[in-house]
Amino acid sequence: MEVSNSCSSFSSSSVDSTKPSPSESSVNLSLSLTFPSTSPQREARQDWPPIKSRLRDTLKGRRLLRRGDDTSLFVKVYMEGVPIGRKLDLCAFSGYESLLENLSHMFDTSIICGNRDRKHHVLTYEDKDGDWMMVGDIPWEYESYISTCSLTCSFIISDLNRCFCFSMFLETVRRLKITRPERY
Amino acid sequence: MNYFPDEVIEHVFDFVVSHRDRNSISLVCKSWHKIERLSRKEVFIGNCYAINPERLIGRFPCLKSLTLKGKPHFADFNLVPHEWGGFVLPWIEALARSRVGLEELRLKRMVVTDESLELLSRSFANFKSLVLVSCEGFTTDGLASIAANCRQLRELDLQENEIDDHRGQWLNCFPDSCTTLISLNFACLKGETNVAALERLVARSPNLKSLKLNRAVPLDALARLMSCAPQLVDLGVGSYENEPDPESFAKLMTAIEKCMSLRSLSGFLEVAPLCLPAFYPICQNLISLNLSYAAEIQGNHLIKLIQLCKRLQRLWILDSIGDKGLAVVAATCKELQELRVFPSDVHGEEDNNAAVTEVGLVAISAGCPKLHSILYFCKQMTNAALIAVAKNCPNFIRFRLCILEPHKPDHITSQSLDEGFGAIVQACKGLRRLSVSGLLTDQVFLYIGMYAEQLEMLSIAFAGDTDKGMLYVLNGCKKMRKLEIRDSPFGNAALLADVGRYETMRSLWMSSCEVTLGGCKRLAQNSPRLNVEIINENENNRMEQNEEDEREKVDKLYLYRTVVGTRKDAPPYVRIL
Repeated sequence: MEVSNSCSSFSSSSVDSTKPSPSESSVNLSLSLTFPSTSPQREARQDWPPIKSRLRDTLKGRRLLRRGDDTSLFVKVYMEGVPIGRKLDLCAFSGYESLLENLSHMFDTSIICGNRDRKHHVLTYEDKDGDWMMVGDIPWEYESYISTCSLTCSFIISDLNRCFCFSMFLETVRRLKITRPERY
Repeated sequence: MNYFPDEVIEHVFDFVVSHRDRNSISLVCKSWHKIERLSRKEVFIGNCYAINPERLIGRFPCLKSLTLKGKPHFADFNLVPHEWGGFVLPWIEALARSRVGLEELRLKRMVVTDESLELLSRSFANFKSLVLVSCEGFTTDGLASIAANCRQLRELDLQENEIDDHRGQWLNCFPDSCTTLISLNFACLKGETNVAALERLVARSPNLKSLKLNRAVPLDALARLMSCAPQLVDLGVGSYENEPDPESFAKLMTAIEKCMSLRSLSGFLEVAPLCLPAFYPICQNLISLNLSYAAEIQGNHLIKLIQLCKRLQRLWILDSIGDKGLAVVAATCKELQELRVFPSDVHGEEDNNAAVTEVGLVAISAGCPKLHSILYFCKQMTNAALIAVAKNCPNFIRFRLCILEPHKPDHITSQSLDEGFGAIVQACKGLRRLSVSGLLTDQVFLYIGMYAEQLEMLSIAFAGDTDKGMLYVLNGCKKMRKLEIRDSPFGNAALLADVGRYETMRSLWMSSCEVTLGGCKRLAQNSPRLNVEIINENENNRMEQNEEDEREKVDKLYLYRTVVGTRKDAPPYVRIL
C-alpha cells in the first residue's frame, strides 16, 4: 500500500531542516503516491491509521482470513428425464422454502420435499457419501437452526449433537435431482 | 435570588449538574461563587496541567468525584512518548493530605503507579469508584491494593490500559465481606485470571450489573458466571478459540437465556464463530454491541447476529462487516445513534474487496434517522457520498471519517474531498467534533470556519495547502476547544496570527507541520498563561542555546492554557518555552 512510502517521506521532510521547502516536498509527495505497493516485509507504522494500541495488537495477532463474505456454493440441478441440467448457488437461499420456490420457478413446475405422489415433483439430493436422500430432513445449516431453536427457548443435547456433527444440508449436499411424479 | 438564605440557593444549585453550567453559575456574583464552590461534588479537569491539586482543593474542598485527563489525544496513536507526563500521584497525595472525602476517581491518559493506587486505597474510607481509561504505569499489584483496602468499592473499570500483569491473585484480594460491587471490568488484562476467585466474587455480588472479562476466562466459566449473575446489564465476553462441545454450548445458551436484563455486549476476542449463536436469545434486547475486537469472525456471522438486534443504539464493529453488512444494519437497526467502523486490515496485506466503502456509509445515513455520532475507517470516499450523507443526517454531533490512505482523492472524480466535507459542516449545524481525511485543500477549512459554528474539537491529518487553512479555522470556529493537527503544511504565520485565541481553547497540537522553533519562541514570549511544549525525542543534545537554529522545524508542538505556569515534571526531551 502506498501509505508508508508517502507518509514517511512527508513527515521526515518536516523533521530534517535540510530537506526541500514545502512546495518541493509536496511535489515529492505526489510522485511517491504513484509508487506501487511494497512487499509485505516493510515495517508497519505505529501512528497511522489512528487506532488505539489494543486494537492494533489484536489485529496483528490475527490469522489472515480468506475473505469469505461472498461465499457461494454452486451445485448442479437435474430434472429427471431432462439431459441438460442447471446450476444453482445454494448460498443465495436462506432455507428450504426459498430453495423450493426458486426451483419451482426455474423449472416451471411445482416441487416439494417429502414423499412422492402423483401431482408433485420431489426434490432429492446426493450427499457427500454418494447416497441419494430426500431433501428436508436435516437442518439447512447450523446458524439458522440455532436461531430457530433459540426462539423456542430451550433444546436438548441430542439436537445439539446433530448440529455439531455437521450433518447440515449445506455441508453435505453435492447435487440435486428433481424426480418425476409417480406414475402409478 | 439574593434575598434567599444560602441553604436555599445551595439546594437550587443541587439540580444543576453539568460542570459547564456550574462554572457559569459561579461567575454570576461572589456570593454565588462561594455557595457553588462549597457545594460542588463533581469536578472535571480536562487538562491536569491547567491547574494544580492545591488550588483545586482550595476552591472545592467538598469534592467527592474527580475526573482528570493527562496526555493529549494523539497519545492514543503513539505520538506522545511514554514519560511525557500526566502523573496522578501528586494529585492523590494532595487529596489525601487535605483529607478530602474522595469517593470517585476517573482518569484518562494518565500515568498511574502501584504506589498511587496503594495510597489511594488507604486514604479514602468512602472510596467507591475507580475508572481508568488509556492509562499506564501500574501492575496487578496495584489492583490488589484497591481490591483489598477499598471496603466500599462499587466500581472498578479498566478500559484500554497498559497493565503489567503479574499473574498474581488480585481477584483473591477482595475480602469475603466485599459484596458491594456493581461494575467490574478487567478486559484489558493480558494474563491469566483466577477463575475460581472470580466466580466466588460474582456469586457474592448481588448488585453486579456490569462484568467485562479478559481473554483468559473460558466458555464453561462464562456459563457459570452468568448463571450466578442473571441480573447483568452489561457483559464483556472473553475468548473462546475452540469450537464448543454440545454440552458446554447448551449450558452457555441456557445461562444466557436467563439474562433478560442484558443490554450491552462486548469482547469476543478470538471467538470461534460457532459460539455466537449462543447469544441469539438476548439480541433483541441489546442496546449496545461492541464487536470491534472480534477480528476472527467473518462478516456473514456478524451479519446474522446483528440481524437480530433490532433495538441497537450503539454499534462498534470491524470493517469486515462490509457494505453488505452495513446495508443490513441500516435495514435492521432503526434506533441506531452511534456507529464506529474500525479497520481490520492495517497493513494492507489483504486483497480486500469486502471492506467498507462510501456505499456503506450512505446506506447507514439513509436507514438510521437517529444517527448522531460516527467514526468510519474506509479505503475510499466520494464527494457525492458525503453530500448524500449530509442530506440524510443533518443531526450529526460527531463526524469522524478516516480514509486510510493519506491524500486520497474522490475515487471517481479524482477531485479533493473539500465539497463533501463542506456539505457535512453546512448541513450539520450542531456538529461538535470533526475529523477530516483524504485529499483536502485550504478550501475545506474555509467551509469549516464558515459553517461549523458549534465545533469544539477538530482533528486534521495530511490536509491543507497553506497557512490560510489553519487561519480559516482559528478565525471562524469560535467555540473551538481542542485543535490537533499532524502532517499538514501549516506554519508560523498561522500559529502566530492570534496568540490570544489559545487562551480560549484547552489545547493545540501540531506535529510534522511547518512551525519552527523561532515561531514557537515568539509565541511563548508574551503568553504567561500558555505552556508551549516542544517534544523532540530524537534530538538528545539540542540544549545548546548558541547552536540553536530558529529555522529548525519543530517535530511536535503541544500548547495549552494554564493558570499555574510551567510544569516541573517534564522529561529532558520536552522543552517548555
